[in-house]
Amino acid sequence: MPSVTLQGVGRHFGALKAVDSVDLAVEHGEFLTLLGPSGCGKTTTLRMVAGLERNDTGTIVIGGRTVSDAAAELFVQPDQRKLGMVFQSYAIWPHMTVFDNVAYPLSVRRLPKAEIRTRVMTALRLVEMEAYAERPAPALSGGQQQRVAIARALVFEPEVLLLDEPLSNLDARLRSQMGDEFRALQRRLKITTLYVTHDQEEAMALSDRVVVMDKGRALQVGAPETVYRRPASRAVAAFFGAPNFIDATVRECRPEGDSHVLTIEGAGAQGECRTAQAQRPGDTVLVMIRAEDVALGRSNEPARPGQLVWRGRVTDGVFRGSRRSLAVDALGRRFNVECPATRAAAVGDDVTLKVDAENAWALSG
Amino acid sequence: MTVAVPLEQQGAAFPRGLARYGRPAGIALLILALGFLTLYPMAMLLYGSLHSTPPGMAGEFNLDGYANLATEENFQALINTTILSVVKTVLSLALAILLAWIVARTDTPGRGVLEVLITLPFFIPPILTATAWAMLGNAQVGTINLAWRWLTGSEGTLVDVYSYGGIVWHMMQYSTPFIFLFIVDAFRAMDPSLEESSRMSGATRWQTFWRITFGLMLPVTTSAFLLSFIRGMESFESAVFFGTPVGIKVLTTQIYDLITQRAQPDYQGATALGFATLALMFLLLVVQSRVLRGRSFTTVTGKAYSPNVTRLGWMRWVTFAICVAFFVLTVALPVGQLILSSFFQFFGFYQLDMLTLDHYRSVWENRQFWGAFGNTLLLGFLGATATMVLGGIIAYITTRTTWRGRRLIDILAWLPWMMPGMVLGIGFLWGFAILPHAVPIYGTLWALLLAYVALGTPVAVRVTSGAYAQIAKDLEECSRVHGAGWWQTLGRILVALAWPAFAVGWVLIFFGIMRELSASILLYVPDTEVLSVVMLKMWNGGKPEAVSVIGLVMLVMVLIFRWVQLRFIKRRISTL
Repeated sequence: MPSVTLQGVGRHFGALKAVDSVDLAVEHGEFLTLLGPSGCGKTTTLRMVAGLERNDTGTIVIGGRTVSDAAAELFVQPDQRKLGMVFQSYAIWPHMTVFDNVAYPLSVRRLPKAEIRTRVMTALRLVEMEAYAERPAPALSGGQQQRVAIARALVFEPEVLLLDEPLSNLDARLRSQMGDEFRALQRRLKITTLYVTHDQEEAMALSDRVVVMDKGRALQVGAPETVYRRPASRAVAAFFGAPNFIDATVRECRPEGDSHVLTIEGAGAQGECRTAQAQRPGDTVLVMIRAEDVALGRSNEPARPGQLVWRGRVTDGVFRGSRRSLAVDALGRRFNVECPATRAAAVGDDVTLKVDAENAWALSG
Repeated sequence: MTVAVPLEQQGAAFPRGLARYGRPAGIALLILALGFLTLYPMAMLLYGSLHSTPPGMAGEFNLDGYANLATEENFQALINTTILSVVKTVLSLALAILLAWIVARTDTPGRGVLEVLITLPFFIPPILTATAWAMLGNAQVGTINLAWRWLTGSEGTLVDVYSYGGIVWHMMQYSTPFIFLFIVDAFRAMDPSLEESSRMSGATRWQTFWRITFGLMLPVTTSAFLLSFIRGMESFESAVFFGTPVGIKVLTTQIYDLITQRAQPDYQGATALGFATLALMFLLLVVQSRVLRGRSFTTVTGKAYSPNVTRLGWMRWVTFAICVAFFVLTVALPVGQLILSSFFQFFGFYQLDMLTLDHYRSVWENRQFWGAFGNTLLLGFLGATATMVLGGIIAYITTRTTWRGRRLIDILAWLPWMMPGMVLGIGFLWGFAILPHAVPIYGTLWALLLAYVALGTPVAVRVTSGAYAQIAKDLEECSRVHGAGWWQTLGRILVALAWPAFAVGWVLIFFGIMRELSASILLYVPDTEVLSVVMLKMWNGGKPEAVSVIGLVMLVMVLIFRWVQLRFIKRRISTL
C-alpha cells in the first residue's frame, strides 16, 4: 500500500486553479520529487499534504488514514498528521536552543524527558550536529540551520518527510554536498520523502521518481532518467535544458522491446528514432534530441545505417569549463550541441552531426 | 485554521463540532466586546446630544444641543485649538528632526545616553510637568522670574506660562519626544547605499540630504506630523492648566467647563460639542489616511544597517549642548521645581526657615492619596494587561487569519483613535449611567478600567501587529506540522517570540493609564480617584506643595518602569 496517495487533489483561488486535480502515489521509503517552474503548484501540493492548506477537491491519504476529503468535508489538522517538514527558510525558532528546536515535536506530544533527550541526541547525531545542542538557534550558519531543520523533521519518526526547496538558500557547493548527505540519510532510514524543488539537477540527483508539474497539473511521473530521456510531452522535454526539436514525418514503425522504433524523415535527414506509442507511416512527429547526445564528426564523415546525420558549420562556441556549448548551423537550422571542452570544434569549422536512434525521441506531433 | 478541540476527540467522522461553531461564536463575542468599548460610547454621545436632560432622567429629544453649538465662544475655542496644535506641531517637528538627526546620524558624544534622556519627557505624565511649570513660570512668584529678578535686579517678568506661548511650550515637551521616537528609527535604519549612490551620481552632501535623505523620510515625517497634530487637538492638560485661568479656551476644556463649571451642568451642550469634535477628528483622520495612502515605508526597513555618520568636528559639542539643554528644560527643571516646592512651606518663598517635611507627612497621612495611589496601580496593571491581551488577539485575527469578521474587528479597534479621552469619557458617562442597576459599572473602578482599555486598544493593536509582522509565518506552520495544536503554537511560538513587544506595549499602556486625566476626571467618583485626578483637585484646592510630593511619587514610578523597560526588555529584543 502506498504511503501517501493523492486523488484528484485540487486547490482553486477564484478562477485560478493553482493545483488542478493531481493524482499521485508515493510508495513506502520512496523519494518522490515535485519538480516545476515557480507558480506551477508544487509547493501548494506539498502544503496540502501537510495540511497547511485545504484542498478544494479530492482526497489525501497518509499511511492508510484519510487525512483530507473535500467532498466529505473531512480535514485533519496538520498537527494530527504525524509529519516532518523542512521549510525553505528552515523556520528555526530563534527563541530556542538547537536542542529545544529538535525536541519540539516530542515535547508538544508530552513524551517523557529522558526519552526526548535520547531521541533528540540521536537525531542530532544523524546530522552531525550533536556538538551544537546547547547553542542558541540564531547563532548557526545556513548549512547548520538546515541540518537542525532536518533533525527536527526526523526526530518524531514521521510517516512522511516533506521538504519545500530546502537547498535553495545555500550556496552552490554546499547545496550539492547537503543534497548528497541528505540522500544518503534518506536511503539509510528508508523514510518516505516528498520533496519540492525547481532545480532539475537536484531533482535528478536525489529522487527515485520525479513528478514534473506545470500550471497546476502533473505532466509526467517517472524515474529521473525516464523523464529526462523519454519525456511524455514537449513541455516536459523543454523543462530540462535546451534540447533540439525537429519536425519529421514517419516512414516506418516497428515495435522493439517496450517501445517502438520509427524510421523518419525530417530537416533534410533520414534515420531512426524511438518513441512510446506506435505511429502510422505519414504521421508527423516532433523529435527531441538532447544537446549532449549530438556526436560531432569531421566534415563528410560517413554515417552508420539508421543514424540521423546533418552536415553544418559551427557558428558560435561558449566555453563553460568542463564543456563547451556550440551552435551549429545545418541547412539553415540551428542545433545546440554540448561537448567536452577539449574535444570541441572551433567556430567556422565544417562538422557532421550524428545522432543514434537511442538518443532521438519522437513525441506525437 | 480551526481552533481548540483535537480531532481525535472530535472523531474524524464528525468534523462539524465545536471547532465549527466555536470560532464564529468567539468572533461574535469579540465584536460585541469591542462594540461595547467603542461604538456604544459613540452612540451614547449622539443620544445624549439629542436629549434635553442629564443621563437617566426623563426628558425630550431635540436639537438644542447642536443649535447652541454655534456660539462665538465655541468658535473661538475651535480656532484656538487649531492654531495651538499647528504651532506646537510645527515647532516640535523641527526640534524632533534636529534631535533625531543628532542622535542617529552624527558623531555627537554620548548619543546612547542622550537618546534615553531626550525621550524621557514622553513618559512623564503631562499633569506633572504642568504643575511644575505653573510654579516655574508664574508671572509673579515663578521660580524663573524670581531668579531673573534676583540676577538682574529688575522688577520685570521673564516668562509667563499662563499664555498661548505657555500652552504651546507645555505641549511641545510631550510631542517633541513623541515625534522623535516616531522618526528616529527611520533615520537610523536607512540603507546607506541609497545615499552613497546619490553621492556617486554627483550630488553634493547637501543635495543628497534634501533630495534623498529627506525625501525618504517624508512619509514617516508626514505621518508623525499628522498624528501629533491630532493629538494636539485632543490635548487637555496644557490648556486646563495654562489656558483656563486666563480665559484661553480650547475644545476639550470647553466640554469640561460645560459639565463641571456651571451651576447646572449642561450635558446636552457638552455631548453635542463632544460629538462635533468627534466628527472633526474623523475628518482629520480621513485626511491623514488620504495623505498617507500609497506612501511606502519600505525603503526604511527593520534591517540593521549602519548608517552614514556625519563627522561634526568641534560642532559636535554644540549638538551635544542642544540635547542636554532639551533635557534640562523638559525634565531637570520641572523635577527640580517639584523637589524644591515639596520641601518649603509655601512655594515661591524659598527661605531657610521655611524648610519643612510637612508636605511629605501630610501626603503620607492622606487617605485620599493612598486610595488614588492604589487605584492607579491596580488600574494600571489590570488595564495594561487586559488591553494587551485584547490587542494581541485583535492583531492576530486581523493580520494572521482570513477569518470572517476580521475587517469589522479592525475598524472597531481603530475607532478610539479619533476619540479624545474627554469625548470618550462623556460617552461612557452616559453609557454607564443609562445601564440597568444590575450592571453596576458607573461609580466603580470598572468605569475607569473600561475607558482605559478602550483608549489603549489602538496602541496595543499597533504594537502587537508590528511584532507579528516580523515573525515569519513559516515559524508557526512548522510548529503545526510537527505536532503542536493551534493553542500550543500560539503560546510556544508566537507569544514566546513576540513577548518583548508585548512587554513594550504593556509598559506604554501602563504609562498611558498613569497619565490619563481627561476621561478619568469625568468618570471618577470619590472612591475611585486616580493620582492624576487627585493632583488636579489638590492643585485647584490650592495645595501646590502637596501636589509636588505626589508628582514626585509618580515620577519615581515612571523612572522605575522606564528603567525596567530599557534594562530588561530592550536587551531581550536586541538578542533576538
